[in-house]
Amino acid sequence: MTTVRIYVTYKQSVFDPQAESVLNAIHQLGHEEVKGLTVGKFFDLQVEGDQAAVENTVKEVAESLLVNFNIETYKFEVLEAK
Amino acid sequence: MKIAVIQFPGSNCDIDLYSALHDVCNADVEYVSHKATSLDGFDAVMLPGGFSYGDYLRAGAIARFANVMPAVIKLANEGKPVFGTCNGFQILTEAGLLPGALKKNDSQKFVCETVPLEVVNNDTLFTTQYQAHERIALPIAHGEGSYYADEKTLDELEANHQVVFRYASENPNGSLRNIAGIVNKRGNVLGMMPHPERAVEALLGSTDGLRLFKSLLENGTVKTEA
Repeated sequence: MTTVRIYVTYKQSVFDPQAESVLNAIHQLGHEEVKGLTVGKFFDLQVEGDQAAVENTVKEVAESLLVNFNIETYKFEVLEAK
Repeated sequence: MKIAVIQFPGSNCDIDLYSALHDVCNADVEYVSHKATSLDGFDAVMLPGGFSYGDYLRAGAIARFANVMPAVIKLANEGKPVFGTCNGFQILTEAGLLPGALKKNDSQKFVCETVPLEVVNNDTLFTTQYQAHERIALPIAHGEGSYYADEKTLDELEANHQVVFRYASENPNGSLRNIAGIVNKRGNVLGMMPHPERAVEALLGSTDGLRLFKSLLENGTVKTEA
């Protein structure tokens, strides 16, 4: 079983109002040195199969469900392979 | 013409749509469950507003996988009228029937108010009863209504006259080019964030939405047969 973490964020070219709000709050907190921030979400999937099969599954799930390519992008990493 | 109003778990404007069509327009309309697998016998389909599947993942993202969606897509591909308001618009973009996406409002606030709109294209089967560039007022109520598409797509939408409604004064959500509603290239699928079904009787404060349904009832069958 492989545990894979998929990260989904807005594309850099797309304005994220949530990240803007959080960044403003960080500045209110006094941390003007924080110049940028990305907000996203992650999904941990436990997937059966060999490495190639797992990658195929992850890509299929991410690209047809978890990510909206109009506004978002993604990356993934293997957390644990048993 | 027989019209289906799809009910997803979390839809909350289905009754408004049904009532606008049935009670105000005397149209032949039926509720259809998200579990249905066929829309045979229907000439048009309406996707209501609300929060289908709790807006989990992204608004409209889960509804795209509902049992009924292949039938909705089939009907759209046959050139029959498909209309989505609010969450219905979000579902239509997620399903790929309309380009672009709806993002969280720039203000981060849920907006609930009546806003002025310009009818940009009155030559669609949904808008023939409006005057070109007429100003109307319709209610909006959404947290994720900021229309986004890349520049190339936006240019194509404008060149093909696919922008049907634009916010006519203040932009309430950050939608690019003030877009409030668009049709597909073929013109038979309309998605819009405003709620015409909530503006069909004087008692509701406005009747500006009524002509959208009347246009559809007048043109729906005729134009699709052509």
